Amino acid sequence: MSNFLKLFNFEWNRFIKLYIILFGLVFIVQMIGLSYLIYDYKAMINLEIGKNHMSTEQFVDMYGMFGIDHLSISILFIAPIGISVAALLFYVPFIWYRDWFARNTFIYRLFMLPTSRMNLLFAKLATIIVGVLSIVAYQLILLVLYKGIISWTIPTAFRNDVSVLEMVMESSYLSIVLPGGVMEFLVAYGLGTMFVIIIFTAILMERSFRWLGAFLGALYIPAMAITFYAPLIIIELFYTSFPLYANELFYVFLVMWIIITVGSLLLSRYLLNRKVTV
Amino acid sequence: MIEVKEVEKKYGKKSVLSGMSFTAHKGEVTCLIGVNGSGKTTILNAIMGLTPFKKGDILIDGKRLHKEMYEKIAYIPDTMTMISSLKISEAFEFMNDFYTVWNQEKAQSLLTFFNLTTDMKISELSKGNKAKVNLVLGLALDVDYVLMDEPFSGIDIFSREEIANVFTSHLIENRGVIVTTHEIQDIEHLIDKAILINDGIVVKEFNAEEVREEQGMSIVDVMREVYRS
Amino acid sequence: MRLTLDSRAPVYIQVIEYFKVQIASGELEKGAEIPSRRELANTLKINPNTVQRAYKEMEEVGLIFTEGNMPSKVTKDEEVIKAIKDALLQDSITNFITSVQSLNVPLEAIIPLIEEKYKQANVQSKEEDND
Repeated sequence: MSNFLKLFNFEWNRFIKLYIILFGLVFIVQMIGLSYLIYDYKAMINLEIGKNHMSTEQFVDMYGMFGIDHLSISILFIAPIGISVAALLFYVPFIWYRDWFARNTFIYRLFMLPTSRMNLLFAKLATIIVGVLSIVAYQLILLVLYKGIISWTIPTAFRNDVSVLEMVMESSYLSIVLPGGVMEFLVAYGLGTMFVIIIFTAILMERSFRWLGAFLGALYIPAMAITFYAPLIIIELFYTSFPLYANELFYVFLVMWIIITVGSLLLSRYLLNRKVTV
Repeated sequence: MIEVKEVEKKYGKKSVLSGMSFTAHKGEVTCLIGVNGSGKTTILNAIMGLTPFKKGDILIDGKRLHKEMYEKIAYIPDTMTMISSLKISEAFEFMNDFYTVWNQEKAQSLLTFFNLTTDMKISELSKGNKAKVNLVLGLALDVDYVLMDEPFSGIDIFSREEIANVFTSHLIENRGVIVTTHEIQDIEHLIDKAILINDGIVVKEFNAEEVREEQGMSIVDVMREVYRS
Repeated sequence: MRLTLDSRAPVYIQVIEYFKVQIASGELEKGAEIPSRRELANTLKINPNTVQRAYKEMEEVGLIFTEGNMPSKVTKDEEVIKAIKDALLQDSITNFITSVQSLNVPLEAIIPLIEEKYKQANVQSKEEDND
């Protein structure tokens, strides 16, 4: 097994505890949310149809049909997703700083491994990316499960059989993490990866030059964001009409993406090999 | 041979290493002696590529440090180098995964020597025992050079004795050892060469037996003479 | 095996002196195996290179000998052993006389004292042996 895979496997195993907690949290809270919604809806059916003698059509007109899309506006459904996103964002710096500041200084060992230090960076990066992807996949599986629960508990007449995909497309929260097409998916995750790499570089600046590095790192992040949008800014400033077709603009951004990602990785490599200190 | 040549390093405006030079040879125990803050730990970190330095050069068998050399030179810093939530067996597994020079049998016998077992969790060990695990992780690598930073500091007397035994055992046979200390008494009779360090430079480098034989002075006598002037 | 080291004297010479006493007293018999370099370093808590040097010097003056890969042994040469014993005795007596002379006591007054103390010490060491 290559050193990268060994390190990735190792990082992943360190990550797994947090991950299991997140998985559990998402499932439990969302199930509570769903149960409450179903309970509430069925109580309403009992009240309006059972006691107030409303017809099914009248009820559906008034309260709507029950479908999985009901979930996407429930706070108990959205909150765990928010917490997961926050936890993963927190993990981006934490995955580095834990090696310096935890009860042990594992960074000594990591830097003394007979392998390229870039493997450490790639292992940490892969842990974050795979972490995000698997929590998204997990959420999708849960949605399918929730759909099953709905069709099992809500009678057909009251049920709106919205597909999981439709739900995701219509929800503004979910469509960020799960873009519809392959291209959109690649763009979203490509940008995410670039973002994580930029943060990693900023962290390594801080770890190399401490206070001065923290300052440089804090400048580096917005500087890279501006650089990425530079083509748009230039067009905005110097052109009266928009000079590019949509696909041309895409290639311009692709080039910017490559420049920033590769540049940031090269800078990280320089810092890891020459400047970083335990 | 490890050659440290005119190494300089600053933290901000404060100079930690101000042109430090010395050599350490294979088959010998070289001891860096100096008070806390004199630059002992920094120079070991610099030799291991764990902290950059501005000027000067460090050569190991004539070559600058690169990643393959971590199979030739091991470092036992004064701080735990393994994740403490791991069991000792898992720590060994980690070492075995990454180092071709990891010697599992040696690690096992060292552990037994220190009265520890592989099913113990590092975080549950006493300070002295943690230091011993750290020592095992470094000494079970079949390398040419071993660097130890303050192996005796903050450790109970019995653990100190056990650790001192390492210096007379086959574990460091034919290896070059650099050890730092601010208290020479623990290893006075165990070292070959003493290097006195003050404010980031070497103030005296001498062979312990030679000063005893030629000047009738103990290491402490030499220290007294050097630091008083 | 115990040895209190003087930190101002070369360790290798202290090791040689230690062996001389052991050999002269018969504690180490002629032809007896001596500990390996590492064993001795371990018991005395001293640098193995230092033990190596002591053994080398002892070998050069014929105090010990090594055949092939066998452990080193104490010399079988009675002459050598006797010479060591004599030298040690000479040294001790010289030391004794130097300190006694400074007290300005005549020899005749000292001899009975020596005899008495010597007997006492012998009895004591026998009692210790019996323990």
